[in-house]
Amino acid sequence: MKKVLSALLILCLVFTLAACSSSTGSKDTATTDGSLDSVVKAGVLRVGVKEDVPNFGLRNTATGEIEGFEIDIVKLLAKEILGDENAYELTPVTAKTRGPLLDNGEVDLVIATFTITDERKLTYNFSTPYYEDAVGLLVKKDAGFKGLADMNGKVIGVAQSATSKDAVQKVADEKGITVSFSEYATYPEIKAALDSGRVDAFCVDGSILGGYVDDSTMILPDRFSPQQYGVTSKLDSLALTEAVDGYINGWLEDGTIEGLITKWGLKY
Amino acid sequence: MKSSNPFALWRWEKMFGEWQMFGEGFLRTIEVAALALILALVLGIIFGVISTSNNKVMRGIARVYVEFFQNTPLVIQVFFMYNGLAIAGIRLSVFMIGVLGVGIYHGAYVSEVVKTGITSIPVGQVEAAKSQGFTYVQYMRYIILPQTIKIILPPLTNQAVNLIKNTSVLAMISGFDLMYMADSWASSSLDYGPSYVFAGFLYFMLCFPLATWARKYEERLKRKDTARIPFDPSEEAVTC
Repeated sequence: MKKVLSALLILCLVFTLAACSSSTGSKDTATTDGSLDSVVKAGVLRVGVKEDVPNFGLRNTATGEIEGFEIDIVKLLAKEILGDENAYELTPVTAKTRGPLLDNGEVDLVIATFTITDERKLTYNFSTPYYEDAVGLLVKKDAGFKGLADMNGKVIGVAQSATSKDAVQKVADEKGITVSFSEYATYPEIKAALDSGRVDAFCVDGSILGGYVDDSTMILPDRFSPQQYGVTSKLDSLALTEAVDGYINGWLEDGTIEGLITKWGLKY
Repeated sequence: MKSSNPFALWRWEKMFGEWQMFGEGFLRTIEVAALALILALVLGIIFGVISTSNNKVMRGIARVYVEFFQNTPLVIQVFFMYNGLAIAGIRLSVFMIGVLGVGIYHGAYVSEVVKTGITSIPVGQVEAAKSQGFTYVQYMRYIILPQTIKIILPPLTNQAVNLIKNTSVLAMISGFDLMYMADSWASSSLDYGPSYVFAGFLYFMLCFPLATWARKYEERLKRKDTARIPFDPSEEAVTC
């Protein structure tokens, strides 16, 4: 027993040391890591994007390239920061991987339908929102749901990131109905669960949902709490965050972003 | 301003404030693992014994079972049970899928372990037992299986430990197990550092004692085996 205890203590010590060393590490490199200087020096803007969200970031199976609204923003940023709209490198991310990739310096920015919340602002920097969208529900046509009010006791499939879950929960509480949630790592998995009847509704941001409508499914008219997407960067890369924020604000004013939204058919 | 480090202390505090969530997942994992282990042992012993029998058809059935489940990924098996069977009209709960999926998958491995254990006992012992009038069940029960336990215990424990860890496949199908809870907390709060370290620690707490116990048990069995048996000349005189 003594041996087991001491082994555990050593284990705890290792974790503590690891935590300490990584905290000092990030302080030392704070001035260069993910900052504007290092991006300019590297000559390439590394961005985490979605590759499974139609119209926002979707891999084109014919060309192998990722295309969409958010990739166009990446191109615009690369052009402004580095003077070349092709000086970017895309890394596909999911709700689960985008945080760690940003923290460990694999990517400089994340532009991946990342919803801004107050809690998340404690962890990352967000730019001014470049897109605002409300949460919607995709259901099977033959299920006969007219709205969330009909879904008492049903299971709702959400992606592993709490914003849509919280949004629906709030409305469900207001309407006095109970719903349960199943979380999945990717959107195609939720769609598969909807098709097989594992969940009764597929719930994410409306525009993302648009890419998953087919003959047997439809989007309910209900819309919940608007979600705002921001360009995400590390908390300590202030110069980069400010630069990006400046450009986004400029494009919001001169209608560039509006043009992209129309281009990708994001208004519904 | 709070530290932005993914392992910062405030993140740990926030996570332990939600400890019930991890507790629920941990309990789910234990339940699934325990039932799946029982299923795996039952299937493993049945198919392991069958695959050493003289009946060709029986051996064939055991072979197909083992090869099919060993050579396809558990993730696909579980995904098929979750979505494939549901489309076909068979709706198993995620709990059942955990027990069946992981249990059947590891049953195939346990079967191979049991089979090697039995075949590692020299044929002469079976022949000797038969010559003394032992039936199949009797010599399996009194002669062969007691000896195989010592041989198969280490690989069997490996299987049990792997089984526990493999229950994390449930996270993929929204199984509310420990891994799912860790994923859920990591992606909603962004405290992925503490979340995964803590989940890993809980898995360790399950697997490590099991592996240690099995090692000790095996050592004890081996010590018993090598203990000196006092030589009694009178006994030999009688039997000769």
